[in-house]
Amino acid sequence: MMLIMPLVLTAILGSALKGVMGGEPVKMNLGVYTADTHELTAGFIQNVLKSSELKEAIELKTAASENELKNWLKDEKIGAGLFIPDEWGKQLQDGESAEATVYAANGKDIEAAFAKQLADAYAKSAQTIAISTKLAVSNLAAEAMAQQQPFDAEATARQFVQDMKGTATEADFVKDVPVGKKSVSSMQYYAAAMAAMFLLFNAMVAGKSFHIEKATETLSRMMAAPLSARTVLAGKFLGTLFFAICQFAIFMTATHYFLGVNWGDNLLQTLAIAFAFSFAVSGLGMVVASLTRDEKMADVAGNMGVQVFAILGGSMLPLTVFPAILKKISLVTPNSWALTSFTNIMGGADWNSLFIPITVLIGMGILAGAAGTWGLRAKY
Amino acid sequence: MLSIHDLKKSYHRKQVVGGISLEVGRGEAFGLLGPNGAGKSTTISMICGLLPYDEGDIQIAGLSVKDKPKAVKQKVGIVPQDIALYPTMSALDNLIFWGRMYGLKGRKVKERAFEVLQIVGLEDKAKDKIETFSGGMKRRINIGAALMHEPELLIMDEPTVGIDPQSRNHILETVKKLNKVGMTVIYTSHYMEEVEFLCERIAIMDHGKVIASGSKTELCSRLSGGTVLRMTAEPVTEAFVAELETLAGVEQATIQSETELSLLLNEAESPLAEVIQTAVRSGVNIMELQREEANLESLFLKLTGRTLRD
Repeated sequence: MMLIMPLVLTAILGSALKGVMGGEPVKMNLGVYTADTHELTAGFIQNVLKSSELKEAIELKTAASENELKNWLKDEKIGAGLFIPDEWGKQLQDGESAEATVYAANGKDIEAAFAKQLADAYAKSAQTIAISTKLAVSNLAAEAMAQQQPFDAEATARQFVQDMKGTATEADFVKDVPVGKKSVSSMQYYAAAMAAMFLLFNAMVAGKSFHIEKATETLSRMMAAPLSARTVLAGKFLGTLFFAICQFAIFMTATHYFLGVNWGDNLLQTLAIAFAFSFAVSGLGMVVASLTRDEKMADVAGNMGVQVFAILGGSMLPLTVFPAILKKISLVTPNSWALTSFTNIMGGADWNSLFIPITVLIGMGILAGAAGTWGLRAKY
Repeated sequence: MLSIHDLKKSYHRKQVVGGISLEVGRGEAFGLLGPNGAGKSTTISMICGLLPYDEGDIQIAGLSVKDKPKAVKQKVGIVPQDIALYPTMSALDNLIFWGRMYGLKGRKVKERAFEVLQIVGLEDKAKDKIETFSGGMKRRINIGAALMHEPELLIMDEPTVGIDPQSRNHILETVKKLNKVGMTVIYTSHYMEEVEFLCERIAIMDHGKVIASGSKTELCSRLSGGTVLRMTAEPVTEAFVAELETLAGVEQATIQSETELSLLLNEAESPLAEVIQTAVRSGVNIMELQREEANLESLFLKLTGRTLRD
């Protein structure tokens, strides 16, 4: 259960919220209708909308009529519909203003805007060629006339357009250029989020184990042995730490092989954060044990604590959607530090950027462990 | 081996151990007898270093429990009243774990674990989990865990509570054997017959104090006669009891329950006939009469007016 639950949640959340994190390409469903048979219009559809560059981003459907296009929108079979009017291509060729109409389905404004931008960019490019061709042909005609030489304006214009058409349609309308660090996919984010959340449960388990040991008298037996209280508590702390690290390693391996999650290029960084976070969780376990009266109370308090920390720490909703004040509050949770660090590593982080999170997590573990130890020694 | 001097302990201003002094020699089997709530477990906990004491001193093998707790704990094996074992681990693993807590390592701890399993008669159950054991078997492993580090002093706090007679006998035989080979044993119980079987010297505790101590013979000689007559009758009233106590041969009469009465008789007289006549005169219907010879139970009854099982 300790492995299956977080794996299942990662798979569900990662799939359901695909695209939210921006790390994976967003495929839009675009419908197009035109009665215009001009070659510029055909060029737009074949060489731009159906180009290899946009193949991954656009699922294109060609409607038989404007009504069919509108029906598809109503039925949400497409996110945006592009209606190219008659004479659009001729207008472009003549250098006149020509606009295609874009219809958007509910909530698909971004897709509609994208389709509009594609059409407008192509139109501008075509208009530029048309205007440039007219100017060039006029100049050449005037020059030929001045030199009393024959000049075939139509052939020249055709050649000009032919030469520029390739350039216009080969223009990169959409360029996939990564800016800054690699984006993290939803699956990656939620793998890290679930790891952070489920490791927190170890704090509850550690707290409960103290009470179980007390109830079963094994704690008394341990205290009757020639061991100091510090040794016993350190043993508990290290046991929790070891278990948490093992849990993380298994989870990381399982998400990598079953869900294809890439935990980053530097495994050592990931393990360093996992260790530091496990350290913090072990300290929290001591706090849970010292603040609760019995196993049941540790169970309830621990569960509540994990849920609150999980929400505050970004394990449910991405930290990026939090308002500023909540982002600040999330810094008190060790899981938010761990989650942010894991995602930074996935995006390509250097060791310098991990120094503060590791220090904070170890510090949390030391403080919580000390507080818990003090409480337990006073109690027992 | 063990020296307790004027030991006192209070909880929230209530004195639970009020000035106990005891000496237990090396190799001795010493019994601590008393009803529930007498302070036996509290005394044991203080001897083991689990509870701090308010006043007095405890020394084990010449070492003060307060000043050298670790050294003292290494010499003591404690068999707690509750089963202090990990139920999901096997008997062998439990013994090895507790052996390691006392500093045993490597091959030695495993060898010792098998030795202990033989001592407690559970060598064929080494790999079985504790949670599958019967109550008696659990108690035997509970004892075994205390034996792993070969302690000089074995303290057993009511080790036979709630188990079947067969396991109980096995435990008593085991403890007897351990004592015979030189282990000092302190055995607490509210079962008089166990303490009588195992122990050479006994202290009787009640309300946090030792009310009598010595060998069994010494203790029983404190009873003049000391025969106990147990009566089951109806109705048992205060008036009937008061009348019985006026009889020449009756030293003390104590109501045990609505239908039970204990009479401590003076051996010089035999007041059985007078007891029956008194009952008839008082309209009391005697259903059962049982005569018991002098024992610790009757001494406790004489000293406290209660039975050990109260």
